[in-house]
Amino acid sequence: MRLDGKGLPVIAVSTLTAAGLAGRGLAQRVLEKSLPRPSELAPPAPSRPEDIRQKKLMSRAAWFSALVMRGALEEARWDEARAEIGAFFGVGASGAEMDEVARLVAASMEDGQFSLARCGREGLDACNPLFAFQIMNNFTLCHGAILEGLAGPNAAFFSRGTGTVTALEEACAAIMSGACERALVGGADTALHPVTMAELEREGFLRQGLTPAEGAAALAITSTAEAPLGYVEAVRVFPVERPRGTLVPRTGVLRDAAVPAALDALEDQPCDVVVLAPWGAPAREALLDLPQVLEAELSVDTSLTLGESLAATPALAWAVTLDLLAHLDKPRALVLSAGPDGDLGVVVLAKGGA
Amino acid sequence: MGRRRAVITGVGAVSAFGVGYDALANGLAAGRSAIGPIRNFDARTFPTRVAGEVPIEKTSASLLEKHRGVLLHIGEAAAWEHSGLLRDRKVCFGLIAAAEAWRHARCGTAERRAALSIGLGLEQAFLEDFADQLDGDEIRIGAGDLAGPEGVRFRSRVDLTAEKIRGVLGLSGRVAVHVSACAAGGTAVAHAASLIERGAADVVLCGAADSMVNPLGIGGMSRLGAPSPRAEPSACRPFDRRRDGLVVGEGAAMFVVEEEGRARTRGADLLAVLAGSATTQDAYRATAPRPDGSRALAAMERAVRRANLAPSDIGYVNAHGTGTPLNDMAEAKAIRALFGDVPTSSIKGAVGHLMAAAGAIELAACLLPFTRDLLPGTAHFEEPDPECPIHVIGPRPLQRRVEYVLSNSFGFGGQNVSVVLGRPR
Repeated sequence: MRLDGKGLPVIAVSTLTAAGLAGRGLAQRVLEKSLPRPSELAPPAPSRPEDIRQKKLMSRAAWFSALVMRGALEEARWDEARAEIGAFFGVGASGAEMDEVARLVAASMEDGQFSLARCGREGLDACNPLFAFQIMNNFTLCHGAILEGLAGPNAAFFSRGTGTVTALEEACAAIMSGACERALVGGADTALHPVTMAELEREGFLRQGLTPAEGAAALAITSTAEAPLGYVEAVRVFPVERPRGTLVPRTGVLRDAAVPAALDALEDQPCDVVVLAPWGAPAREALLDLPQVLEAELSVDTSLTLGESLAATPALAWAVTLDLLAHLDKPRALVLSAGPDGDLGVVVLAKGGA
Repeated sequence: MGRRRAVITGVGAVSAFGVGYDALANGLAAGRSAIGPIRNFDARTFPTRVAGEVPIEKTSASLLEKHRGVLLHIGEAAAWEHSGLLRDRKVCFGLIAAAEAWRHARCGTAERRAALSIGLGLEQAFLEDFADQLDGDEIRIGAGDLAGPEGVRFRSRVDLTAEKIRGVLGLSGRVAVHVSACAAGGTAVAHAASLIERGAADVVLCGAADSMVNPLGIGGMSRLGAPSPRAEPSACRPFDRRRDGLVVGEGAAMFVVEEEGRARTRGADLLAVLAGSATTQDAYRATAPRPDGSRALAAMERAVRRANLAPSDIGYVNAHGTGTPLNDMAEAKAIRALFGDVPTSSIKGAVGHLMAAAGAIELAACLLPFTRDLLPGTAHFEEPDPECPIHVIGPRPLQRRVEYVLSNSFGFGGQNVSVVLGRPR
C-alpha cells in the first residue's frame, strides 16, 4: 500500500526491550551497540488496581502489549474519545504459564502415565479456571484495549514477522477509509517461552543463528498531525516462494525477492537509511547487498542487537527507524523485515517535523 | 471507474453435519441439529461431554487422500501423519474446505496468485507430550535436548493450516492469519473483501478453521463455565429463556472471493456480494461482553452504512447467538435497537460454536437465503425470552426471499465483527 501525499503521520512510539520501557532513544543505543544482550525482560510490575486484577489473566506478551499501548497513548496525549481509536497488532503464540500446565498435567498422571480419565476428573480442577484467557492469542491485543478503553476498529494477526506488517497495513487502510482517525499499531511477543524455544529448535532456526528475544512496540498513527515523529509512506507484504514443505525460502530466492520488493515500495524515491530485521544467518546473508543496491548512506541490522522477538520484531525495527531519522536528520528510510515465516515485510518511513 | 466489489464464487465446508458444503446446507435446510456425544476422545469424566463434532474419529492421511482437490504429493499426507501434524484436527478441516471452495469456484492456474486470509484458532496443545517431560512438579521443555523429538510436539503452530493450504493449492499471494478468537472467521472474510475493494488482490481464498474438541479445548472451556452443563443434544438453545451455555463445535468454511468484474468475465457463479463490514471492540472486560451491546451495535450500524444500505434493507440477521445468558441478551438488545423485528437466528444450536471458525461457517449458512430462499432456523429454540425481544426464527428454517443479510461474530476478549452479504444480480 502506497499512501498518498506525505503519508500517514506517526505521532508517538513506545517500546519495551532489554533497555526497558521507552519512547525514544533506542536508535542511539542500537548504533552504539550499548544494549544488553537479548534476554528475559523485567517489565514494570502492575501498580494500578485494574492492572493488578487483569494481570492475573495475562500472558507475558499481553502485559508487554498493555505497557507499550499505554506508553504510546500517553506520548500521543490521546486522552479523549478513546472508544474510536483503532488497534491493530501482530501477536504471537499462546503464552500459557508453564506452572499452570505442569499443575494440570501432574494432577492427570496415573501410574506414571498421562490419564485422560484423571485429567477430566482432577487435572482440570488443578489449574486456574480462567487459564483459557491467558492462552488465547488475541488477548495480547485485547487486554490492552480493555485497560485503555480502545473500542474502535481492530484486528489481531498471528505473526512471526509479516503478520505485524499486515497489522500496520490494515491500520493505514482503516484510517484511509475513514473507519477511524487514530490507531495504535504494533506487536508484542516472546520467543523465550519454553514451548516456542522448543519449536524454534525443532524447526532448525536456533541452529541457524536466530537469537530468541522478547519485546513489544506500539506506534500511534493518525490521519493528520502538525509535527509528527515521522510518516508511513508505504507498507507492503511480499510473499516469497519456497519449496513445498519448507518454512523459509532458499537464501538466493530471498535475495532475489528483496531487491524488487524494496524498489517497488520506494517507487523511485531515494532512501538514505536501510534498516534490516533478518531472523538469522541465512536471511541476513540474503539481505546483505540491499543497502548497497539502494545506495543508502547507512544500514542498521536491528536483529543483531535486539534479537528475534517474532511478532514484535518489525514493530521494534520501525520504532528504531523513526528514532534514527530524527537523530541523524535523514529524510527517508526503508525497513525490511524477514522473519521465520519466510515472507518479506517492507515499510518506507519518512522523517517528521514541521 | 466504478467501485471494485468483492463477490463469493466458491464455498467449502466441514461441520458436524459432515464433510462438504452440501451436508451443511442440507442439514440446516432440514432444520436438523448435529450435536451429540464427543467421540474423538474419551470425554466421560469431563464436565462437558457433547459437542458439534465433525463425524470423523481420527484425522488421518487416508482422510485427506480421499478428498478430491487436496492435491497431495505421493507420501506427503503420510509424512504429515507421521510427524504428528494431523493430530490437530483443524489442519485437515481447513485443507478439505479450502480444496472444496477452490474446486467449486473452478479456480485454476490463473487464480494461484490468490491471497489467503484465514481465521485460525488456538494452537492445539498435546497434554500427553507435556506429560513425557514432567519432572517432579516441573515440565522441562526448551531449546537443545529439551526440544523433544522431531515433528509437531507439545502444540501445533497457529499458522500450520495456512502453511499447508498455501502449499497444497500452490498459492503465491500474501497470507494473513486472523486470530480474533470467535470473531476470526468474520474478520478474515471482511479482510478479503477489503483487499479486493482497494485493489490489493483480485482473488482471495478466505475463511476459517478450528477445533477445540480435544481434552484441553473442552476442558479449558468447561473451566470458564461457558458450555452448557447439560450433556444433551439440545444443550445449546440460543435466545431461549432456558438457555444455559454454549456447545463447542469444530470444522471449517472457506470461500473464494474475487473482484466482481473478473468473476463475471471468467463466467464464475456468483453466490453472494460482500457488501460491507465493520469491526469494533467492547473494551469492557476479559470475562464478559458489554451488557448494553453498544459496541456490537456500532459494528452492525457501520457495516450497514458501508454497504450503502439502511437498516430496513437487511432481511435477515445471522446472530452470534452463543446460547450463553449474557451474550444473547446483549446481542438481542443491539439487534432490536438497529433492526427492530428483523428475522434472526443462530445456527449454533445445530452445529455448535466453531470458535475461530464460527463466523466463517455462519457466513456459509448465510448463502442459503440467496441459493434456496431459506433463512436458517434456531435449533432448540422453544421458549422466547423477554430479555431477548427480537424475532427469533424457530427450529425450522423460514422460506423467504431477502436481498441482504447480516452476520455477527463476537470474540472472547471483546472483538466484534459484522458482515453484510447481498444477493448477486
